Amino acid sequence: MGSCFSDVRGGQQAVGGTRQGPIGGGGGGGNNGGHNDAVDHFFRARGQPALFSQIELSLSASKLRDLDIMSKSDPMAVVYLRKTDGKLEELGRTEVISNSLDPAWIEKISLAYQFETVQHLIFHVYDVDTKYHNLPVKTLKLKDQDFLGEASCVLSEIVTKQSRSLTLSLHNKNLQVGLRNLGTLTIHAEESVASRTAVEITFRCSHLENKDIFSKSDPFLRISRVVESGGSLPICKTEVINNNLNPTWRPLCLSMQQFGSKENPLVIECFDFNTSGNHALIGKLQKSIADLEKLHKERNGANFTITASHHGHEKVLRSQLFVDQFLEKQQYSFLDYISSGFELNFMVAVDFTASNGNPRNPDSLHYMDPSGRYNPYQQAIMEVGEVIQFYDSDRRFTAWGFGGRTYDGTVSHCFNLNGSQDGYEVEGVEGIMAAYAGALHNVSLAGPTLFGQVINRAAQVAGHSLSHNHSKYYVLLIITDGVLTDQQETIDALVRASDLPLSILIVGVGGADFTQMEKLDADNGIRLESSTGRVATRDIVQFVPMREVHRGSISVVQALLEELPGQFLTYMRARDIKPRAQMPL
Amino acid sequence: MANARNRSLEVTIISGEDLRINGRPIKNNAFVTVKAESRCSPSSHESTKPDARGDSYPYWDEKLHVELPAGSPYVVVEAHRRSSSAGDKLVGMAWIPVSDFVGDYTPENHLHFLSYRLRDAKGLRNGIINISVRVVTSSHKGASSCSSPLPPPVLESRMPVDREKHGGTVTGVPVWFPNQWKS
Repeated sequence: MGSCFSDVRGGQQAVGGTRQGPIGGGGGGGNNGGHNDAVDHFFRARGQPALFSQIELSLSASKLRDLDIMSKSDPMAVVYLRKTDGKLEELGRTEVISNSLDPAWIEKISLAYQFETVQHLIFHVYDVDTKYHNLPVKTLKLKDQDFLGEASCVLSEIVTKQSRSLTLSLHNKNLQVGLRNLGTLTIHAEESVASRTAVEITFRCSHLENKDIFSKSDPFLRISRVVESGGSLPICKTEVINNNLNPTWRPLCLSMQQFGSKENPLVIECFDFNTSGNHALIGKLQKSIADLEKLHKERNGANFTITASHHGHEKVLRSQLFVDQFLEKQQYSFLDYISSGFELNFMVAVDFTASNGNPRNPDSLHYMDPSGRYNPYQQAIMEVGEVIQFYDSDRRFTAWGFGGRTYDGTVSHCFNLNGSQDGYEVEGVEGIMAAYAGALHNVSLAGPTLFGQVINRAAQVAGHSLSHNHSKYYVLLIITDGVLTDQQETIDALVRASDLPLSILIVGVGGADFTQMEKLDADNGIRLESSTGRVATRDIVQFVPMREVHRGSISVVQALLEELPGQFLTYMRARDIKPRAQMPL
Repeated sequence: MANARNRSLEVTIISGEDLRINGRPIKNNAFVTVKAESRCSPSSHESTKPDARGDSYPYWDEKLHVELPAGSPYVVVEAHRRSSSAGDKLVGMAWIPVSDFVGDYTPENHLHFLSYRLRDAKGLRNGIINISVRVVTSSHKGASSCSSPLPPPVLESRMPVDREKHGGTVTGVPVWFPNQWKS
């Protein structure tokens, strides 16, 4: 039941805590619940995501246009990523295959799969003139080649299919489809082996130095990966063991996505935990996973070192690190589950409280700008919806509103956005947008801001789905402008929902002070507690204020999505739910 | 009522967090007992082995079987520390409403991962206990007619009340009535 996850949090140098670990999942890089608040700084080097999957695309085409007179075309394919500014970034090219209208290229194109963005891929197929055939493909100037056709798709469309393949019709650059049959292009995506490889390591230390005055040190290990810029990126930490200079921690699980490769140097630091947050460094060392495996096999210890303050040298300490157990294992990746039929079901809840302002007023957060510019609600719906829609096979989404006065004159804290009595579902993201626009006409803003009912309804839906199968995971997006009035009731609802296949994303819009909301997002390590004494099984809530400035090319809202595959995997692995058996292609 | 039948539970005591005695974290040998709270039928009572290695964050991962008689509203989990010199000392207890794993939104034999706040003999908060619960079988024996004991006043049992008129579906919990011919 070991679970592995990364607790690197992106963006600012928030003095946050670590991400709450799942219970019953062994050591798994988790922390001790309330033992650590503000344990550490976690930062992310610019533009380097912590968890992503490396994908390789194999291309083939059929019935290409024949442009050569004496023989068939000599096709080559080029793959681009379309960036948010519309520019195309070339990801790679295949080789040239001579004399074929049905090429199956061997050369694969690699790219990183990022769940939280919509990755638009553009494919161009060219007929390469014979005079260029012996030149390296990279050097070919595309404008000198004959264009055979173009196709485009989103990466999620490919990786979510069971066959992991997608066949597209080629068309002209001006999108004049059907003028002439230009053939088809088939793209097959495969995850690299690294995405499934993980190691489970049991660390032990001996002769640790005593940093505490009245008792012994309370040691824990932090493991970081060395990055090209020279710094290091924390990837995992053990739990804290109290009062022990020769501790053995619970097994730590690291996925290859976290450590990169077995040869990548890792920095292992041993700290003495202090409740103040100022942990004293006992010692550090640098070892790769391959080195650790060697330590295990040879039953050797590695000495910690510490920088001696006065002369800046590294002083070798008596303290040693041992690897008592080293187990390499394969675990299913997020895409393994998704392509086998697991789905993410999207649910949205929109705030209809009066604090948003009259929708007719241009200052209102609900104002629908005639120029077509999205208001914050529309923006959040689009940004999350357009990513998640690919993971839901029937594209039927749940849309609710809360805090508004509906047609019958009463204030409802969970009403169907589409105005219907029975069905809370709409079709597609455009369905949500239409229901939202309609609701703005039919529902008057009221209040107060209560989340409890929406969360209970979402939990009900998620719980009921368990009677049928275990392959649906629900994502509830709550968009609100204000601060909660029912903090305890919301916490109770969250605790009750914490053991269900559900993640809750809360986006705060407008200028309110959202500090209170941040307490719901247990990043500081404190587990939510209900009024009945039950404690949240896992941290299912994430909160971000929309006005937060974000580094990189994705929005703050999309940054919320980064954690979803991890939360999904944690849930599935803790319950030993495996992907459905893959059918042969 | 959700408690109209006898049930067998598989309770896995997973781990504990921040267990203290008199404010001091305990050193070792914590163990946990589980029983169903019922005044009438003698409640079966099972314990884990003491965790010799673990300190105030013990880890057991031990499966215990608990018979839950019909009508019993709570499962009681108690964490103790075994000491050869001082005997067993109670660290804290948690009263787990059966409604937390029966008759909520999930199917009957769903595996629940639950965590609870432990409270010591004085009612003060003292650590967290992490368990998993699964209903293994439900047998159709008659519902007992005895009343359930009152829980300690510190805990308030609140059922989620949905006052909202949805005009839509309502969750129905199947009710099983005891077979009239069996006693």
